[in-house]
Amino acid sequence: MRPSASRGAVDAHSAGLPEAWLSPGRRSGILPPFRTVVNAATNMTSVAGKGEALREYIIEHVMYRTTHIDQWNIPFRHLAFLDVFRSDTVMLWTAVAVLLGLALLARRRMGDVPAGMANLVESLVAFVRDHIAVPSLGPADGRRMASLFCSFFFFIATVNLLGLIPIFSTATGNVNVTAGLATITFGFMVVGAMVRHGPIGFIRGLIPRDAPLLVKPLLLPIELISLLSKTFALTIRLFANMMAGHIVIFSLLGLVVIVGWYALPVVALVVALFFFEIFVCLFQAYIFTLLSAVFIGQTYHPQH
Amino acid sequence: MASEIALASIGAGLVTLGAAVGLGMVAAAAVGGIARQPESAPKVQVTMLIAAAFIEGLALFGMVICFLQV
Repeated sequence: MRPSASRGAVDAHSAGLPEAWLSPGRRSGILPPFRTVVNAATNMTSVAGKGEALREYIIEHVMYRTTHIDQWNIPFRHLAFLDVFRSDTVMLWTAVAVLLGLALLARRRMGDVPAGMANLVESLVAFVRDHIAVPSLGPADGRRMASLFCSFFFFIATVNLLGLIPIFSTATGNVNVTAGLATITFGFMVVGAMVRHGPIGFIRGLIPRDAPLLVKPLLLPIELISLLSKTFALTIRLFANMMAGHIVIFSLLGLVVIVGWYALPVVALVVALFFFEIFVCLFQAYIFTLLSAVFIGQTYHPQH
Repeated sequence: MASEIALASIGAGLVTLGAAVGLGMVAAAAVGGIARQPESAPKVQVTMLIAAAFIEGLALFGMVICFLQV
């Protein structure tokens, strides 16, 4: 991504966006609060200029969020301690804390007959075990590795859902976080299969047994690349889904800034999209877990 | 430049078009399969979700590439 100054931004320079925000070195600098951007966009005369300002703002918001000062906070007031939740690292630890609290809460109610929260957690755990882990890994391995997939599911779902709360950052909308999660899957796909079958057995398991002899050397690099691309696809799928939701919501709200109060009904659409995002959050956690289980199952039990 | 942004937007639209066709075919086949054999619904649904996730992943690759241009 190039700085907008070299792009020849439409009338952003002339119409009141702070110079520091548009200079090439602004990534390291302090960015203006959102209302400054909105004021600047509102003061601009052309629709193209307003769009330019908003587009810059959205890209900053979803990609360089930790450099922002004074914008993700409660309205009309700045509580400094809320700023830490802009960091994805803090959000990951928050998710860990939430999950630990949930686990303790569920554990307390887990008697012979589970009650309250324990019911919900138990049904989710049973769902992950019986519908994700066991079908793709077989009964023995599936039951043993259910804890891994439960961790994936609960962690990703919690991080995604926490990211929907306005003050919090969406940690899974950061490609580094999803790459880390996919690397865990990659480790199980490669190292786990090597531990089970040995390095030679792992390589042999990659190549279909009934392939013609001449094709087999060709298949090996293809299958190795396929291992990497599966991991890469896991990374991008989660990251892009989470980021795209934020971009869409922000773009629709940006219509109000660009067009004015005629566009106010779009807020209803945004509310509807927000509920759709709740579904997407849970669904992406499910898909990530399911695909991890399928991929790990493919290298654990080749030829079936 | 504005033309690059316009081209990226057109690319995002094309990506969505392709993914929509693919997802439509997956969904149509799954609906047809479930209608013919309702008892196979759980298996069909899981397979459909996996296929849909792959198609969606391709669409998101395209979206990320278009987004890098913007």
